Amino acid sequence: MNARRLDLVFAFLVAATGVTWVVGESGSAGPAAVALILGLAFAKGWLVIREFMVLRRASLLWNLIVGGWLTLVLAIIALTYWKAL
Amino acid sequence: MQYKSQAVAKPYFIGALALFVAQILFGLVMGLQYVVGDFLFPHIPFNVARMVHTNALIVWLLMGFMGAAYYLVPEESETELFSPKLAIALFWIFLVAAGLTVVGYLTVPYATLAKMTGNDLLPTMGREFLEQPLLTKMGIVVVALAFLFNITMTVLKGRKTAINTVLLLGLWGLAVMFLFSFYNPDNVVKDKFYWWWVVHLWVEGVWELILGAILAFVLIKITGVDREVIEKWLYVIITLTLVTGIIGTGHHYYWIGTPEYWQVWGGIFSALEPIPFFALTLFAFNMVNRRRREHPNKAATLWALGTGVMSFLGAGVWGFLHTLAPVNYYTHGTQITAAHGHMAFYGAYVMVVLTIISYAMPLLRGRAANSNKAQVAEMWSFWLMTISITFITLFLTAAGILQVWLQRVSDNPMPFMVAQDQVALFYWMREWTGVVFLVGLVVYLWSFFVKGEEKAA
Amino acid sequence: MSSNTASIAVQNPAARPGFSLLDRYHPPGDLAIWVFILAELLAFGVFFAVYAVARMKNVELFNAMQPNLDRSAGAINTVLLLAASWCVARAVAAIEHGRRAASARWLVAGIGCGAGFLVVKLFEYAAKFAAGINLATNDFYMFYLSLTFFHFMHVILGLVILVAVWLKTRAGAYSAADHHGMETGAAYWHMVDLVWIVLFPLVYVMR
Repeated sequence: MNARRLDLVFAFLVAATGVTWVVGESGSAGPAAVALILGLAFAKGWLVIREFMVLRRASLLWNLIVGGWLTLVLAIIALTYWKAL
Repeated sequence: MQYKSQAVAKPYFIGALALFVAQILFGLVMGLQYVVGDFLFPHIPFNVARMVHTNALIVWLLMGFMGAAYYLVPEESETELFSPKLAIALFWIFLVAAGLTVVGYLTVPYATLAKMTGNDLLPTMGREFLEQPLLTKMGIVVVALAFLFNITMTVLKGRKTAINTVLLLGLWGLAVMFLFSFYNPDNVVKDKFYWWWVVHLWVEGVWELILGAILAFVLIKITGVDREVIEKWLYVIITLTLVTGIIGTGHHYYWIGTPEYWQVWGGIFSALEPIPFFALTLFAFNMVNRRRREHPNKAATLWALGTGVMSFLGAGVWGFLHTLAPVNYYTHGTQITAAHGHMAFYGAYVMVVLTIISYAMPLLRGRAANSNKAQVAEMWSFWLMTISITFITLFLTAAGILQVWLQRVSDNPMPFMVAQDQVALFYWMREWTGVVFLVGLVVYLWSFFVKGEEKAA
Repeated sequence: MSSNTASIAVQNPAARPGFSLLDRYHPPGDLAIWVFILAELLAFGVFFAVYAVARMKNVELFNAMQPNLDRSAGAINTVLLLAASWCVARAVAAIEHGRRAASARWLVAGIGCGAGFLVVKLFEYAAKFAAGINLATNDFYMFYLSLTFFHFMHVILGLVILVAVWLKTRAGAYSAADHHGMETGAAYWHMVDLVWIVLFPLVYVMR
């Protein structure tokens, strides 16, 4: 495994967390802010799955299952948020 | 049989099967009482028949577990049993105590029995499944502790494997949880709260560990798959069991006066309880598929696979049907519960005990497997009992759905007894299917006496 | 655990129809841990969905209560978990090159970050309990406490596994050729991280 690649992934993950924190602290609410943080959560989750859990070395089926979990969970969260607006 | 002391398992298996017969006979009696209310009244009232039916089930399964432990622990630990004499003595004590308790149930009114056995000293009786008199309960504790001592000492002096460790964990858990049967607070909410610690944490907790260990043992023996692979699966299954099953207790806490959050906790975790059972199904089929030998005992393989499938259906699927709070709000305590109870107990615990008996009994009788003829008879009994329990479950589910509709959902809800009359047809069908089950059981017992060409051990 | 499962799978993949699809090309780590991870993901997934639906049905309460949470503590904890995951990934990368000592050091760093998470979380809980908040306070706090505590228990389990892996690494059990056990432990830890990545925005930030 390429160490530099892992470092870059980690840097992105921390930066994305920082953005989420700023959104939270600024008290931002509404569909745009939520779309941003859920989008970031998806990006972070997908990177952890692909790079840290190394699913990019696994079969398509495994990627569909674990990636599908992330997508489904975030989709349910987004849907219930939208319904409650 | 590799160790002489494994022979003590034999009386346990025979005793268990005798009580199995009693359980089914009383089941048929009460099944008939559902539709012919005064059948055998006043000699065997419904509540007594029910008590004998459920208590005999629990006791014969415990006896089966003990027999299984006595058979597999010496072989796993690669040493003789710590004390075979103690094991035999405990068997007779257990059998006589169980027999006396049943005689007590049948001969004197329950209230009189309570008075005779000192229930006012420490009231523990009168609760479903824990109806046993104080003396019997104390007897169970003494027998269980002495049994655990015997088994634990054997494991300690011999080889420690994942299978005997998990089995010990399950058996100790079983004994510890039973202690809550002595705790009977006056507050009825607390009473029910801890009552489930015995009932739920047995069947949806520690018993599953025993089930997993027994099944893993038999699968190693009949498939020849590496111990390492089988033990790894065993660990995954028991972890999943404990993660889902312990908090899953909350699905009994929806409507008994406990805090509201149990509806969320109990709902989520109990909804996941089918997962370990599903893993068990995969495990059984996976191991049989990658078998490295053809074991002559085909019947035992069939029972093992049957356990995998039927425990998932009965405990997993039928449990899931009514475990979520919004569903359970309507189905609580209806025939849906009875349907689940029948298939879950049969699919998980009856079948696993019959699996180990099927595997071990021929060896205890000095042969690797029974004759082909005897195995065919045994397989007939497998299908007769398994198919009839499936239909019993389906009929009770139909009765339950109708009952929920008539009694709880419709615009003009009927009183309980009126609704019962409406579902009588399903009770009749259940009763006749129960007769088929009894036929299956008779064929099963008969298979022990079928002669034919046998392979030496 | 060795790669026994894998070798059997290679010998006779056709003997197990249906199952071999998942078995043959599964991600690094033991197949058993991946079955377990899927079960865990399902458990958390259901929990998240129930939270989302409960929020939808009572959005005023959830929005009124959420600002009381300590978002900074949550963000610090996110970074700690991510850092732990990164360290564990680097530990696997190090052992792949046979650098055992470096691998062990990365594991210690990962365990340190994970332990840091527990400490921050305990301070967070202490503040909530001091304010008299418990499971029965209201639905929002019930979910907040339940979800985070369920995750908290997983962090503890993950750390136990990492410590075991670290001890084995120090004892020289892993090498460039065989580090199956470390990959197994690492996969479980990343799952704990992945779940928190969803939990943090959902419970602490989204409004």
